[in-house]
Amino acid sequence: MGGDDFSLVELQNWMQGMLVKYVPVTNSRGGEAVTVEDLVNSSKRLNAIRHLDIYRHSYIARLRACMQNQFSALTYALGADLFEAFADQFLDTYPSESYTLNTLGEKFATFLEETRPDKELNEKETWPDFMIELAGFEYALSVIFDEPAEEHRPIATEETPDGNLRLAPVFHLFKHQYPVCKYYLDFSQQQEPELPFPEESYCVVTRRNYKLGLFTIRAAQYYFLLRMQQGKSVELAKQDLISGFKFKADDVDAIWPQWKKNFITSGFFDAV
Amino acid sequence: MKDKEAYSNAVKCLPNPGLGLGLRSKHFNYIIEHEPAVDWFEVISENFMDSGGRPRHVLRQVAEKYPVVMHGVSLSIGSTDPLNLEYLSKLKMLAAEVKPLWISDHLCWTGVNSLNTHDLLPVVLNEESLKHICSRINQVQDFLERPVVFENPSTYLTFKQSTIAEWDFLRYMTEETGCGLLLDVNNVYVSGFNNDFDPVHYINQLPHDSIVQMHIAGHQHCGDYIIDTHDRKVVNDVWKLFTLAWQLTGSVATLLEWDSNIPEFEEYHAELLKAKQFMSSIGSGEYITEHGEQFEAAVSNPVDFLVNNVLIN
Ligand SMILES: [Fe+2]
Repeated sequence: MGGDDFSLVELQNWMQGMLVKYVPVTNSRGGEAVTVEDLVNSSKRLNAIRHLDIYRHSYIARLRACMQNQFSALTYALGADLFEAFADQFLDTYPSESYTLNTLGEKFATFLEETRPDKELNEKETWPDFMIELAGFEYALSVIFDEPAEEHRPIATEETPDGNLRLAPVFHLFKHQYPVCKYYLDFSQQQEPELPFPEESYCVVTRRNYKLGLFTIRAAQYYFLLRMQQGKSVELAKQDLISGFKFKADDVDAIWPQWKKNFITSGFFDAV
Repeated sequence: MKDKEAYSNAVKCLPNPGLGLGLRSKHFNYIIEHEPAVDWFEVISENFMDSGGRPRHVLRQVAEKYPVVMHGVSLSIGSTDPLNLEYLSKLKMLAAEVKPLWISDHLCWTGVNSLNTHDLLPVVLNEESLKHICSRINQVQDFLERPVVFENPSTYLTFKQSTIAEWDFLRYMTEETGCGLLLDVNNVYVSGFNNDFDPVHYINQLPHDSIVQMHIAGHQHCGDYIIDTHDRKVVNDVWKLFTLAWQLTGSVATLLEWDSNIPEFEEYHAELLKAKQFMSSIGSGEYITEHGEQFEAAVSNPVDFLVNNVLIN
């Protein structure tokens, strides 16, 4: 019998240990192990262990459901069983330290990187790279969806002079080794995408009227928009394209009206 | 420190806004477009306190048109960890913006050593924990500069070290701190079944003038225990407890919780309005009998609705 003199702190530590760790911690007092029966009452219908098991099962099931919600495309890509195995391991390694569930998956991409099955091998498999990128992208989307922003400036039109174009208040650029954005879009339109082959890809994520917009773009567009994100004007960003990408000035001038039109239709620009 | 009398008096002056519903992201568009005739909304504080996007934007509009109550799940009043001041500050800021009728949370702990299990874990009910919890309630109320309302959670175990009945523990809390109570009649039913106490006795013993709100909800019967799933209609026996509590409290704000398998808005609202049929014991209500034993996997306190569903164009 070891539970009588358990303090409040000890009792809470004991119970949390039983829930959070896949292999529950064993406590001992004066050499004698503390059993569930020492601390928890049995009832008419259930013994002490079954009472505690309700909490133990719910703990992992509840957080697993949150992970699936936050990483729905990844759940599809990995398959529910494999996703669950990763999520369970993840929750065991990085139990939540936050009052909010919105950050539950913050370290998931890092965790997948740390535990990739081919970590020790010289010859790397490619699919883990895709899964890691997809996890990072899905988490980023959930952050962007809820990030604070002043969405007050008017949206640019084709008549807005180049010098007055500014990036939308919620505007993020991504570069991936896999076509992650296209995969995500196909998945969200229920097109059941297959695992993609490696292919460098670029995309923009914006938010207008509290809805996200996802757009795949080309490499040159990515670098152009990156310069603008760094605070450069349209004119300077164009010049960087010429010096950095060995584009001909004439070609840039020729293609710019088309880019401008597409960027404006996609809501990338506000007007000042 | 404010006098507990002041908090206690403030609790007694809280209004009864009527029959309310939980504000869930699934219904955001419907509510904004249709402005349904719901008396008030209960919002989960943690869902909105960090939001700079759509949830906060929707809440601002809802709070302009309806009375709102803030209901939290992360205060962890029973924990032996220090109070989370970052959390409390955000709670206070959200309250300043939303102007809720009151702020509630649960008699529970959610974790220790900075971890959060995101569950409402049962507290030991004895002198030591009563003292501990009351001193924390005092701190929280003084920080927020208002009384806080505490809900009885569904419990699935009791501790050998507990020496005080839960109804007495809640009453001592109100006497020591002036806090209010949120009586979840479904939780009383669930806890009573799981831990062999009589829910009618529990409700009879509570300090009824400290109860400012009730919760009603559906649960899942798993044979030898019941899980508080918030995923279906309210059963017969819970409506009966509601009738009893309605009479003992002299009518208080009542909210239907539905957090998993959330139905369309009209269906959710219709289930709430059934409460009107159960306000008197003569009751014209149509009872649903419990579907006996169901052994599908059930999760208590489903929380996946607390994670934002990203909307894309
Ligand atoms: Fe409740």
